[in-house]
Amino acid sequence: MKYNMLDQVWFPLYITLKISLVSSLIVAILGTVISYLLARREFMGKWLIDSLVTLPMILPPTVTGYMLVVLLGKRGIIGQTLFNLTGISILFTWQVAVIAAFVVSLPLMVKTTTSAIEAVDRELEYVAYTLGKSELETALFITLPLAKKGILAGIILSFARAVGEFGATLMVAGNIPGRTNTMAISIYSAFQGGNSELANTLVIILVLISLLSMAITTKLVNRWKL
Amino acid sequence: MGIKVDFRKRFYKDNGKKKGKEPSFTVDVNFEAGNELVVLFGQSGSGKTTTLRCIAGLEKPNGGKIKVNEKVYFDCHKRIELPPQQRSLGYVFQNYALFPHMDVKKNITYGLNGWKEDEKEKRLKEMLQLLHIEGLEDHYPAQLSGGQKQRVALARALAPKPDILLLDEPFSALDIIVRMKLREKIKQIQKDLNIPVLFITHNHVEAFTLADKVVVYHEGRVQQVGTPEEVFYNPKNRHVAELVGVNNIFDNAEIVDCGNSDNTVIRSGNMNIIARRTHHKNGEKVAWGVRPENLYLLAPHKKADENTVNIFKGTVTTVVNKGTSKVVAVELDIDKKTILVEISNRIFEEMELQPRSECLVKIEPDDLLIFV
Repeated sequence: MKYNMLDQVWFPLYITLKISLVSSLIVAILGTVISYLLARREFMGKWLIDSLVTLPMILPPTVTGYMLVVLLGKRGIIGQTLFNLTGISILFTWQVAVIAAFVVSLPLMVKTTTSAIEAVDRELEYVAYTLGKSELETALFITLPLAKKGILAGIILSFARAVGEFGATLMVAGNIPGRTNTMAISIYSAFQGGNSELANTLVIILVLISLLSMAITTKLVNRWKL
Repeated sequence: MGIKVDFRKRFYKDNGKKKGKEPSFTVDVNFEAGNELVVLFGQSGSGKTTTLRCIAGLEKPNGGKIKVNEKVYFDCHKRIELPPQQRSLGYVFQNYALFPHMDVKKNITYGLNGWKEDEKEKRLKEMLQLLHIEGLEDHYPAQLSGGQKQRVALARALAPKPDILLLDEPFSALDIIVRMKLREKIKQIQKDLNIPVLFITHNHVEAFTLADKVVVYHEGRVQQVGTPEEVFYNPKNRHVAELVGVNNIFDNAEIVDCGNSDNTVIRSGNMNIIARRTHHKNGEKVAWGVRPENLYLLAPHKKADENTVNIFKGTVTTVVNKGTSKVVAVELDIDKKTILVEISNRIFEEMELQPRSECLVKIEPDDLLIFV
C-alpha cells in the first residue's frame, strides 16, 4: 500500500463531511430565511442582497476565495477585528473552510428555495392571516411545509456543492495535512504527486458518497406526496 | 350593525413607484349595508376583489374608512389599520385555497386559536353538520370534489365565528346543480348567523337570486346600490344596464315630449318611441334600452289596433339558438337599427322565421328603460 489509510483517506473523508454538514446546516437555516424574505417581502436593498448572494455562483471560486482572504485575513476588516478581540487567526482552519463552502453553496440554496416559496399559492397565506395566524406561524406551518421539496433539493445541492468545493477552500484553508486536506484537495495533490492509487481510492469514495446522497434524496422526495 | 365601506385604492403601473405619476387604475368605493347578503356585481377587473382585500386587510387603501359592526378596521385620518389577524372575518376564495397538506379536520379547526380540544371537536362536528360534509374529516383536499372543497372552505371560514363573511366568486368553478345548492346554503347561513355576507360574482343570475342588496361595479366605481329588483328593472345608467342584460341600448336620443299624458316621447334618430312618464325634461339627451326578452315579434301583416304603439317594421338578419329560446336579430327599416329579440322556441316555430323574413317588433312602453 502506497498510502496511509488513516491519514490520507479517512481523515480527508472525515474533514470533508464535517465541513459540508456544518456548512449545509447553516445554509439550510440562513438560506431559508433569506429565500422567504426575497420571495415574500419588498424592502430597500432587496436587489443588492439578491445580487450579493448570487455572485459566487458566477465568479470563479478562486476569486471568491481571494475576496474571503482579503476580508478574513489578519489585515482584512473582519479578520483583524477577530484577531484583536480573541487572538485567533481564522485562515487555514476547518472553520474557514466552512465559511468558503457556505458562501459558494448559498446561491444554489437560495435560488431553488426562493422559486419553491414563490410557487406556494399566496391565497393560502392570506387565508391563514384571516384565520388569525401571524406571518411567522403562517411561514412555519403553511408556506415552508408546502415548499419543502424545493427546500430539500436546495439543501442537497448545497451539500453536494460543499463536498466538491475546491478553489475557494484551497485559497482560504490551504492544504494542511491533518487539518484542512479535504477530499477534493487531496485528490488534486495525490494526482500532482503521481500517487494514482490514492487518487483512485479517494475518487471512488467521493463518487459513492455522491450517489448515496442522491439516492436518499430521491427516496425521501418520493415518499412526500406534496 | 353591518358594514360601512368608503375608501380609495390607487394602482400604479410600476409596482407602487408613485412619485409624480398618475395612477393607472383607481378603485373608489362607497356603500353601506346591514346584516344582509350583499352581492358585489361587475365585470372582471372592476374592483370587486380589491374591495374584499381592503376589507380583509390584505391590501391597504390610500384613503378612507372601513367599519364592520362598530369596529373600525381602517381609518386613514385616525391612522387605524387593523392587521387581518384582528379583523375577525371569514374569507373564501374562488379556488377554495384549502391547505393541501392538512386533512379536512385540520383545515376546519385551523382558525380556532386558543380553543380547548373538546371545544374544537364540538365546533368541528357543528361545522361538518351545517355543511353536510360528515364523514370527510380524514380526507385530504386532493381527495374531494369541487363542491366538497368549497363546503370545507366555508366551514373553515365560519368555524371561528367571524363578524363578517367575504366570498370571492366562490361558486364559479362548480357545476350548475352544486352551485344552486350552495347558493341556498349561503342564503340560509346568512339568515341564521345574521352577519353581513359580501359575495362577489359576475353572473347576473347569481346576483339576482342571491342578493338582498346588489352593489354594481364598473371600472373601479360603484354605479348603483339597491335591491335586485331596483338594479335589474331600473338600471341607473348604461353601464349597469349592460351588466344586467339590457342588450339593446341606443345612444343619442332626446326627450321631445314629457308633458301632458302618462307617456313620454323620445326621439331616437328618425324614430319616435313612447315610454312611461319619467323625471327627465324636454330636450334632455338620454339613452334608451330594452331587454331582448321583453320584446315581441309579430307577423308582418298583423293589423295594429288604435291603442298599440311602438311597432316597428324590420327584417330578420340572424338567429342564434340558445337551446331553451332563440335570439333573433332584426334590422329595423328606420335608421337601419339592429335590435335583438328573444322569443320562445314555440313562437319561433309558429312564425316560421328565417333570415330575410319580414316582421314587426313591438316595444311595450313599460319595458322601455331611459338613462343618461
